[in-house]
Amino acid sequence: MGTNKRKWMRLFAVLFALSLVGAACGDDDSADQQDQDAEETASQPSEDAAGTDSETADETSPPTTEAAERGEVTVGVLVPLTGELGEFGAIVADAIEFGVSEINAAGGTRCGDIRTVVADTGGDAETGIREATNMIESEGAVAILGPTSGVMVPLVDLAHREEVVIMSPYAGTITLNELGGDFVYRTVSSDLGDGAASGLWLSSRGYESVAFLIQNEESTISPAEVARDEVNAAGIKITDFIVYNPGQPSYQAELTTVLANDPDAIFLAGGQESGVTVIKEAVAGGFEGEWLFTADLAVPEIFDAVGADLINDKAFVEFADVDPSLPEFISFEERYDKAGDPFAPNSFDMVTLVALALESAGGCDGAAINGTIRGVADSDGTKVSTFAEGRDVLAAGGTINYEGASGPLVFDASGTVSGAYTIQQAINGEWVNVEFYPASTFDR
Amino acid sequence: MNWPQLLVTVVTLGGIFGVVTLALNLQYARGGMINFGIVAYFAIGAYVYAIVTQRGPIGLDQYRFGFDWPWWSGLILAGIAALLFAALTGWPTLRLRGEYLALTTFAFAEVLHSLLLNERRIGNGTVGLANVDRPFSDWGPIEEKYVFAAAAALLLVLTLLAFRRLLSSPYGRALDAIRDDETAALAVGKAAERLRREVFLISAIPVGVAGAVYAMYTTLAQPSLFTAEITFFVWIALVLGGERSLYGVVLGTLGLVLFEEVVRAWPFETVRSAQIAASAEHVLTGLVFIAVLRYQPFQRTVSRLRVAP
Repeated sequence: MGTNKRKWMRLFAVLFALSLVGAACGDDDSADQQDQDAEETASQPSEDAAGTDSETADETSPPTTEAAERGEVTVGVLVPLTGELGEFGAIVADAIEFGVSEINAAGGTRCGDIRTVVADTGGDAETGIREATNMIESEGAVAILGPTSGVMVPLVDLAHREEVVIMSPYAGTITLNELGGDFVYRTVSSDLGDGAASGLWLSSRGYESVAFLIQNEESTISPAEVARDEVNAAGIKITDFIVYNPGQPSYQAELTTVLANDPDAIFLAGGQESGVTVIKEAVAGGFEGEWLFTADLAVPEIFDAVGADLINDKAFVEFADVDPSLPEFISFEERYDKAGDPFAPNSFDMVTLVALALESAGGCDGAAINGTIRGVADSDGTKVSTFAEGRDVLAAGGTINYEGASGPLVFDASGTVSGAYTIQQAINGEWVNVEFYPASTFDR
Repeated sequence: MNWPQLLVTVVTLGGIFGVVTLALNLQYARGGMINFGIVAYFAIGAYVYAIVTQRGPIGLDQYRFGFDWPWWSGLILAGIAALLFAALTGWPTLRLRGEYLALTTFAFAEVLHSLLLNERRIGNGTVGLANVDRPFSDWGPIEEKYVFAAAAALLLVLTLLAFRRLLSSPYGRALDAIRDDETAALAVGKAAERLRREVFLISAIPVGVAGAVYAMYTTLAQPSLFTAEITFFVWIALVLGGERSLYGVVLGTLGLVLFEEVVRAWPFETVRSAQIAASAEHVLTGLVFIAVLRYQPFQRTVSRLRVAP
């Protein structure tokens, strides 16, 4: 037995020594790689701009090697690239990438060029926590951008503990109405607003009865509950309010009940995977009424997945949106060809705000961003709508008020902005705007 | 790649999941019980810890109970709750054997998962209990992550020593006798049913405690964390490490966690590369599993060192 023990001790000692050697080599490699990346970014900034911002790069101040000399500042992009919200994650990550390319093309921040580290959460909270921890501990991320509601809430504790700013362009969950505010921000309004907009739309359509089908997720239940109150208040009969679990091969059990009551419309707050099945099965079951979907289904891919014929003219979708008449949005639309994608402007604003907060702060870490982000988003200073404008004003000793492509960004106590909402209708295989509710609609 | 951080994560998660794999090893390799619902005991530990240490519900919270008790009471109660849950589920299920037991335990785990998902008064439904109490946040100069890694490693070592002691005692030999030839063991007076039930109960305790440590580590008790994926993860670790050796299953678990973390620790700086990596991860995982099962490196290491048991 004694010999065995010694063998084990020897094995663990060798493993430990190897890990330390590996750690030392790993750090050097990483540092070398970062230096190399910084130089590449500084010398070829416009190539990373996906060909959409070459004009902007020419117009702004030319890139210098100063950013490379100052080093880089890392921002984590934590989005679902797979799973039910994969389509949204890709839109958000692309818009952040565009924002970063614009910032770096303009010469980078005071702390250096922005380097992104991208990870897929698959919408899973545990993966999100592990990836976020890795981004902070291993990659030195000062901010983490893009988590969905289900991932964002568990990250609140990590954000406070590690003093890293966490921001989302689409986490509307009402849980953040209480938890957000310090190190936790979002450039989208709360789900309460989504629910109110949905309720307003359902109440205005002249329906006599509405059924609610809600996926068992935080991000779908909270707006549905608010919408239910609105619909109730309008005197419309709610035939069913069914919360279903996603991931089922069929939703016939839920739909049998719903269709038996023959509602005029179905409010479907579901994810892309479950939503597609529900729609197909409901139509196959004889449902001929109208639909109102929540933001998760506001993607063009839904027409291919469901079959455009099944939802054309009958389906509407509600989502937090920007005011298309805003000059900041029009300018963004001219620079970025995917500006119209859901949450793209919110995502662009998010990374621009982080860069401006770094520019305005005395340090280059999460605490510095947290200390200045409200100040650059909302102040009596000069109105700016791009990073380059803001940086120039700050360099001249002024204060700035960033007016984003998604609207005026004023964070309330919970780190949330107020928002506007759009209703779109499925017409000829695409989503077409039919109603816009500005933020002022819900001031009551 | 930040190897020290990787090492800390592997020790922490490897320690937590290693405990579960050890318990599974005890149940399967020694007790002859196929438990496809081990995640349920893990989840019970996590939820009980969260409920015991969580403050009461406020605002939008829908759970009913939050006792705000100290962390150590949560840890103890997590172990006790897992034991009680094992007693509750063991009573009807352990009359079954083989694949019938596997299906029944799997069904129990699914029932519990569904209950946690739909009954919002227990654990806040799909939202779960977030920001669970982390006791190691103020340990002076030592960083919290190292204390966590040490705590998980300690839990693993304690479980390993306890199980080793148990298995090398006459009690362990009686278990081996039942596993090898139940009729012969019964003939010499060994109470096979009672011994199996006892092993089932004893092995649930560290699984519950590991669940509590997992809840501390992730600061989260949410149904999506406790799916059949955990069960299959520890089963894979058990198969990779070799079912007949306690050290082998620990190595198997550490190897599996290391692989997962190495894949995740790779920094992807563009969206496209991250998308490709997300798609390729499962393919790569499958290939590595095939290679490990073909060449059995963990079992070979253990057998080369001739470590008992």
